[in-house]
Amino acid sequence: MSAMRTVALRNLRAHKVRLALTLISVLLGTAFVAGSFVFTDTLKHSFDNIFATSDKGVDARVQARHDYDPGVPTNLIATIGAVPGAAVVEPQINGPVVLVKADGTKVESNGAPSVGGLWATRSVNPIPSFVTGHAPRTDHQVVVNDGAATKHGMHTGDQVKVVVSNSSVVDATISGIYRSSVNTGGYIGALFTRGEAMRLFTDGRHVTAVDVAAAPGVSEQTLTDRIAKILPGGLQAKTGTQVRDAETADISSALSFVNYILLGFGIVALLVGTFIIYNTFAMIVAQRQRELALLRAIGAGRKQVRRSVVFESGVIGIVGSALGLAGGIGLAYGLHALLDSFDLGLPSGGMVLSTRTILITLILGTAVTLLAGLAPARRAARIAPVAAMREEFSSPSASGLRRRTAIGVVVAAASVAATVAGVISDKAGAAASFTGLGLVTACVAAMLLSPVLARWVIVPLGRIVGRPFGTVGQLARTNAIRNPRRTAATAFALTLGLILVAGIAVVGASIKGSLGNIIDNTVQADYIVTTNNQLYVPTPAVAAVRTVPGVATTTALHDLNVSINGKHDTGTAVDGPLAGSIALDMQHGAADITGHNLVISKKLADSRHWAVGDTLRMSAPGRGTVTEHVAGVYADNQLAGPYLTGGHVWRQLTPRNELTSFVVLVQAKPGTDLATLRSGLEKATNDYYVVTVQDREQFKGQTAAQVNGLIALLYGLLGLAIVIAILGIINTLALSVVERRREIGMLRAVGMQRKQVRRTIYLESLLISVFGAVLGLVLGLTFGSLFTRTLRNAGLNQLSVPWGQALLFLGLAAVVGVLAALWPGVRASRTPPLEAISAA
Amino acid sequence: MTRSETITGFRSSTAAASAVDVVKSYGSGSTAVRALDHVSVDLNRGEFTAIMGPSGSGKSTLMHCLAGLDTVTSGSVAIGDVELRGLSDKKMTALRRDRIGFVFQSFNLVPTLTALENITLPIAIAGRRPDREWLATVIDTLGLRDRLGHRPSELSGGQQQRVAVGRALASRPEIIFGDEPTGNLDSRSSGEVMGILRQSVDQLGQTVVIVTHDPRAASWADRVLFLTDGRIVDELRSPTADSVLDRMKRLETRS
Repeated sequence: MSAMRTVALRNLRAHKVRLALTLISVLLGTAFVAGSFVFTDTLKHSFDNIFATSDKGVDARVQARHDYDPGVPTNLIATIGAVPGAAVVEPQINGPVVLVKADGTKVESNGAPSVGGLWATRSVNPIPSFVTGHAPRTDHQVVVNDGAATKHGMHTGDQVKVVVSNSSVVDATISGIYRSSVNTGGYIGALFTRGEAMRLFTDGRHVTAVDVAAAPGVSEQTLTDRIAKILPGGLQAKTGTQVRDAETADISSALSFVNYILLGFGIVALLVGTFIIYNTFAMIVAQRQRELALLRAIGAGRKQVRRSVVFESGVIGIVGSALGLAGGIGLAYGLHALLDSFDLGLPSGGMVLSTRTILITLILGTAVTLLAGLAPARRAARIAPVAAMREEFSSPSASGLRRRTAIGVVVAAASVAATVAGVISDKAGAAASFTGLGLVTACVAAMLLSPVLARWVIVPLGRIVGRPFGTVGQLARTNAIRNPRRTAATAFALTLGLILVAGIAVVGASIKGSLGNIIDNTVQADYIVTTNNQLYVPTPAVAAVRTVPGVATTTALHDLNVSINGKHDTGTAVDGPLAGSIALDMQHGAADITGHNLVISKKLADSRHWAVGDTLRMSAPGRGTVTEHVAGVYADNQLAGPYLTGGHVWRQLTPRNELTSFVVLVQAKPGTDLATLRSGLEKATNDYYVVTVQDREQFKGQTAAQVNGLIALLYGLLGLAIVIAILGIINTLALSVVERRREIGMLRAVGMQRKQVRRTIYLESLLISVFGAVLGLVLGLTFGSLFTRTLRNAGLNQLSVPWGQALLFLGLAAVVGVLAALWPGVRASRTPPLEAISAA
Repeated sequence: MTRSETITGFRSSTAAASAVDVVKSYGSGSTAVRALDHVSVDLNRGEFTAIMGPSGSGKSTLMHCLAGLDTVTSGSVAIGDVELRGLSDKKMTALRRDRIGFVFQSFNLVPTLTALENITLPIAIAGRRPDREWLATVIDTLGLRDRLGHRPSELSGGQQQRVAVGRALASRPEIIFGDEPTGNLDSRSSGEVMGILRQSVDQLGQTVVIVTHDPRAASWADRVLFLTDGRIVDELRSPTADSVLDRMKRLETRS
């Protein structure tokens, strides 16, 4: 090992705290990167396993071409079975259910499927065995999977109620608990006899799909081709391989979202970490100036000095990323456990650590660390040998900032230009792209300009905050801007975090506000009857609502899946009056859906060139055609959708099992006590378990709850940004304290109390972090608002800036600043006064 | 009776600072090093004292102990009538702040503060307002009136050390300690700084104690104490550079 390398390694070892903090910043970033890959790989692998098992025996599957079509006619099942080479034919029947135990508690999963279906007596797959009991033999028997039975305490012989959208509530006895091949956490499966499954989940004439197993010697392709030949239009046959691949692809794309989020965290963490790493090395080099100069004086070349610093950062990079990799596996494990405890339907399985994950993590972590260490390394190489003889550090000048500031101004100008282009652009896509470009350039500009901005913000802020502390405040203020580069790099960790958080907060608040607006502007009902899970409002529940005393009118809205003039379009069918329920802003014609009239949205009218008076033919496969006339065109409306028509169209064109309502709007009779009406509605719908009665504010709240995932993400990002920022601030302050030992010693010698020394450091830290937060909040709120604006045509019509939240973040940043300064502050206050005297 | 006692006599009420039978050891057991070996000394009010001695003689340690920057192993140290042993860090710090002034070899100014702010720093730390009249007197003595708004980096070494002397004088301490105050200065600046210290004793009634190894700097003092191996071995009144140098040579040949 070369002498320079020995020096580099000894250096790392000599400064353990510094080393630990830098390592942690590398570790945090790489852990999220590694964790995201491990987590999604693991899930994907587990899901792949499930599909490989659950659809193992499928050689061919027959299903409708479009998922809005009714499925495979039952009379075709025998025909498919008669195709040469078809050994086993298994109809697939399923639909969403909610089980209710005898004591009235709902058996609910938070995200995992809760599915009802057919207990197959002949299956392409091995028939599951029973833990207890036996297969359903009568229509009032059901079998439940072992996972759900154990989790929710259901046993063979228990009475349960099964809530199904269209046929309301069915009583059943659990005849057995079967061993499920689907091991996703929280999955609930309730299987019935064929007759009952047909009655509950189909229109009586179609099944969801038909699976076929091939006879020995017949390839799945041959079988599929043979079946395809006999299929009528609208149906298709897929090979088993295609089925499994499609399922895997579905899962992959669903998981890629998770992957992107986690990777986003990782990249933010790494980006923020870069500044900490850079800062650390810059300060190490500054502190080692004399030592490096000495090395130069005794004959080390520039290149050797540079390499020794680069080598140090390389060691930290490799060790940090290796630790990050381990941390990532832990993170993935923890995340899995956490999500699993919420019953989100995750499969279990061993952690998957692929070579790709290892390589990406190690390379990324090391590269980022090396990159961050590069500039300090070059600075180290420029130290003149004569610096070894100098007594004091040359105090860093601001002169080198001129070029940086000039570039920053140019980038800022580009950012403003891009942002303005985004603001004036009419097309949402272009506007978003320009605004995005504006954001990225604004971040770069902020980074370049922040040493200058630091002075502008910290000097006045320091005067205000520091005033009660007198000289201590003044020292804190001047210390905070003493090395503007360092202050900027330290604060930028918080800035980046807050840009993200504040931006998401604005968008989130705007979505919530806009949703509330939409509901306020469109829904006029006194009460809104809906469900809060996969099921729709059962049809009998709608009838029950109608008979509650005090109800003037009910308006039930149904999904209508039909083709209009040959092209499929999902719209809304209405039973009940429009007036007083849904507010429509009519552009042409009248809001009339009585008789053979329908009203269409402006968007639909424009795209299909329809106008008031046009005749439209609405049809569904096997259900005939209904002719309607366009009575009016309304301004786009989220609740109404593309078109509104009368309930009779829906009844004629919709399969029996889809005759459900997604919402029922209730108008009270004048003079009715709303509280009484509400309890009446609740009593009437109580038997349907899944139905909820809400007033408009509650409905808004429920709708807004959908945004809460976004808000949760926001707090996750905030937490991460704060953790890294704390590390950065601790690091910077700890190193500053070491750097200023002499000065602090002098202050102690001339009479500064320990308490005052600590306070100086706390205040300095507070100023730095508030500066970072202010910069981040300004950018975050600005760009959050601009992005919201680009989405104004997509329904985000209300801009809400969460000022309260912004203030909270600012306060949090101040607290974080002080917290991060605790340890460096205590260290500084312990500086003995003699430090002022002992030689540097 | 030890030799040092015969030279310096016992603690008197006129002493600005005093040490009685002070021992300062570093380390323990067989590796223990005794930096001060039963030193007793009174530093008189209104007098300019220089402490001299070869490297390792304990002269700096003596000053550090007298100034409350370091603790003694045994014996007692007092500033005025305040005994330093057993003082809490808080009280000791306040004592340094209010009753002691320091001038260091390497100036030790706060680089972010102006000359004036550096001068008034100990007063500001104490949360008090400077006495305007006194401050004006000090600044005039320093000859820095036109430099008050400058930062240390904009001042020469001599000017920086004059600011440091100003900082020591500003709070009217009972005693000013200087640790090689001319160690980093050329001979002209040394002369200026020593002149100011002399002036502060003669005209402002200050008590000044410096540690130095420069006979010319020591010649500005009223009294020179010589230390060797942690003991006070000699004393000189009304010294000149030559007489100091002469004593130093004698000490070195004797030891």
